[in-house]
Amino acid sequence: MTPAPTALRTVRWMVRDTFRQSLYTKLFWVMLGLTGLCTLFCFGVEIDAPPERTREPGEIRDRVNPNITPESERNPGTPVIEGHVRLGFGLFEFPIGKSRTDSIRLLQLWLAGILADTAGVLLALLWTAGFLPTFLEPQAVTVLLAKPVSRWAILLGKYFGVVFFVGLHAILFVAGTWIGIGSSTGIWDVSYWFAVPLLVLNFAVFYAFSAFLAVCTRSTVVSVFGTLLFWILCWTMNFTHHRVIGFDVQGLTPMSHFLLDAGYWLLPKPLDMSGIFFEAMNARDYSAPVPELEAVRMRDAFYPELSVFASLAFAVGVLAIAAYEFRKMDY
Amino acid sequence: MTAAAAFEKVEKTYKIGTLGRTGVPALRSVTLGVPTGSVFALLGPNRAGKTTLIKLLLSLSAPSAGVITRLGAPLGDRRTLARIGYMHENHAFPRYLTAVELLGFYGGLSGVPSAILTARTEQLLTRVGLADRRDEPIARFSKGMVQRLGLAQALINDPDLLILDEPTEGLDLFGRQLMRQVVREFKAAGKSVLLVSHVLTEVEELCDRLAVLVSGKVVHQGLVAELLLDKAGKKRTLEAALKPLYEKEVAA
Repeated sequence: MTPAPTALRTVRWMVRDTFRQSLYTKLFWVMLGLTGLCTLFCFGVEIDAPPERTREPGEIRDRVNPNITPESERNPGTPVIEGHVRLGFGLFEFPIGKSRTDSIRLLQLWLAGILADTAGVLLALLWTAGFLPTFLEPQAVTVLLAKPVSRWAILLGKYFGVVFFVGLHAILFVAGTWIGIGSSTGIWDVSYWFAVPLLVLNFAVFYAFSAFLAVCTRSTVVSVFGTLLFWILCWTMNFTHHRVIGFDVQGLTPMSHFLLDAGYWLLPKPLDMSGIFFEAMNARDYSAPVPELEAVRMRDAFYPELSVFASLAFAVGVLAIAAYEFRKMDY
Repeated sequence: MTAAAAFEKVEKTYKIGTLGRTGVPALRSVTLGVPTGSVFALLGPNRAGKTTLIKLLLSLSAPSAGVITRLGAPLGDRRTLARIGYMHENHAFPRYLTAVELLGFYGGLSGVPSAILTARTEQLLTRVGLADRRDEPIARFSKGMVQRLGLAQALINDPDLLILDEPTEGLDLFGRQLMRQVVREFKAAGKSVLLVSHVLTEVEELCDRLAVLVSGKVVHQGLVAELLLDKAGKKRTLEAALKPLYEKEVAA
């Protein structure tokens, strides 16, 4: 038996085990239930958008929100639509100033970029943070570690199991809401599917850190709170870095600049991922970008490929350290 | 003949405290061999180092010094673990697995081909008396049932060396009889068993060789039959024979 098939077989068994664990802990059903609610909500989307008229001088400040309306749409003389979007089968109603297609694409941007990518990923991280510490408790894992499989394959298998599990739910969420919105409005925007790699990548990067904490401490509490704090740190670091660079904030010492740069490049970059998704959805046509991201972009200081690569490198590095620790750990 | 397990001047010191600066010795220069085909008992008072020795043999911990061979191969060769069955007293199996899933999972990781695994799973579940509970989650099992499932798990890969760490703890009469039967079958098949137990009648009945560990040192090893005779050649119980050996810990 060669090592590669053994490792692959181990990963396959661990992935299967993780799905069983998620079913037993009801997490699978809880996440499916939330996806079902969001899908139902999307089946109840209605848009009432009358023919457009020309925006008049002076009305801009009263009618548009600069945080979500692109610059081009704020000018007098541009077309304007005064319609309504009804969500949840008429439960909520909001005024809209966009075409039907743009309104739907904005809704999809919020669903994927804000609801799923922030709240969803955070919840998934917190809910799955206990999987590895429970699994790695000495009383639970000793018989498994006495099997003819390498420890790194066991750890990677469990990691990929959780990532596949969340990936499956990301696909279900995007498919459900896409079909819901498409069925109720007749608008089928394929670019919405870019949300799947965004969600999986963001989750995978943060879960690597969670796995590292689980191996080092074997404590669910440390894994949950450590991951939460790390998530907050990464968002803060990403925002702060772009604000300082993009708006040329003065008064920082060279050391502070260095630390900010080092922190930005070392840590995962969730804001950058959102920015990449924003561009993938061509959202600039119907929504204003995040000011910090737009500012670094204007200064040619935003490198999406490097950003993705550095985030992935972080995940690989942290997982390698975790695997090394796990390999030499006494049980 | 190749030893099923051999330890030569093996030492283990656990690092504890901040930055692991304090060392607690668990094994001190342990040299012993488990001959192939023997039922070998590892005895000693609590905290003598018996479980540590087994952990080293199974690569659950790394020795601080010395050489260990497992089924004739060095510890680094993990493939030999596919020929070992291991069961210990307080194992917490994943509660979300059913009995069938558990045996499939551990058997699969041991490299048992799926066609053989399916047949052996059914056979072992029947043997340990859990065939009627095969599809129930382990969370619903009593301690004795989990122990019996643990025995089935240890046998799923048809091992050449069976390691039992206090196996009868929590077992009922049927479970104990089953355990003894399995050990006898191993002996009859020329396979090896390494048994850690505090039940001395069980050791007398089943084992042909033994080693006594006290405070991490081997204080005696040899045939069980020899220990059952005193210096005058009179028959004595194993408990009477072990008492002076265990007292060495108190003296130390």
